[in-house]
Amino acid sequence: MKTTITRIITVLGILICGCNQGTENIDIMHDDAKAVMELDYRDFDQAASEMVQSMLGSGALKKDDGSRYVVTTARIINDTMQRIDTDQLMAKIEEELMNSGQVVMTSAVGGKGASDKMVYEVREIRDSDVGDEFQEDTLQKKRQLIAPELSIAGKIFQRNIRYDKKRQQVEYYFQLKVTDLKTGLRFWQKESLIGKRGSNKSVSW
Amino acid sequence: MKTITNILLLAVSLVIIGCSKHHDSRIHVREGLGSDSLGSNIVTRPVAHAFSALVGDGIEITQAVTRRNDAGMLELQVDGYNSSYKTKRFRYRVEWLDEQGMLIQTKTSVWLPASAMGKSPFSLKAVAPRTEAVNFRMDTRKWE
Repeated sequence: MKTTITRIITVLGILICGCNQGTENIDIMHDDAKAVMELDYRDFDQAASEMVQSMLGSGALKKDDGSRYVVTTARIINDTMQRIDTDQLMAKIEEELMNSGQVVMTSAVGGKGASDKMVYEVREIRDSDVGDEFQEDTLQKKRQLIAPELSIAGKIFQRNIRYDKKRQQVEYYFQLKVTDLKTGLRFWQKESLIGKRGSNKSVSW
Repeated sequence: MKTITNILLLAVSLVIIGCSKHHDSRIHVREGLGSDSLGSNIVTRPVAHAFSALVGDGIEITQAVTRRNDAGMLELQVDGYNSSYKTKRFRYRVEWLDEQGMLIQTKTSVWLPASAMGKSPFSLKAVAPRTEAVNFRMDTRKWE
């Protein structure tokens, strides 16, 4: 009897240990894991790559005089059912655009306000009594900021469609457009679609 | 016996010649729409499909063309053909190399999805994100 109980405990122990899924780091360079219904990093990588290649391939960011455009990111609307920080998309795009040597991004103006609040905080210091504590020639002078010439605006939205009794189809649309702020003319635009089909039980929000 | 064999060979040859129509190579007429071929004929199709699967027909790359666009970026077009009867879904990644053959680190070098329908040509396009890119290397893998 005692032997039987010991055996049962041993078998249960092995089963419990076998079921315990250990944590592992994702191989983000060659991730063979199955797709998920929600947007994951692979989807953002794909969308950003397609957007950047299209933008650079179009020649819309090339200035005739060889200088660089000053660009800002305007509002990127998240109209999906997921809580997404749109910087997950735009940080990659901004990085690649700057590295291309064709544009320079401004941190002074943006859809969410200045992306670096320090630009204005140092000016507040300059105009306040605290400014007297600083060497005058190290403080930022007025009219030094450069206004953006181009703006990148966009939207990510989602459509959920019932595919059949057991499956649903979720479509994610990434839309971006580049506008010349001086004339209001649109220089470039692209939509990138990522579609997923899976079980109704999978939740996409 | 020899006569029967000759007749059969002649018949097969006539079928093959009869089926091979010369289309404009830029236009692809899919199975079930154009005239029957050995691969699409209702009688011979199962044999052709089984043979294709047996010999492991798949994707072949026919050429890779590069050019520099107006913005000075290297553009790549890879042309290929799916010899299989089945749609091949795969992923590809293009990496860019500078003049010294050094890898250019870029967020655009990610695995992107692609798909080629059976017995059809396909093309993939990529744009280098830096003007320093002078060469490329491309990797492919099965769609998970």
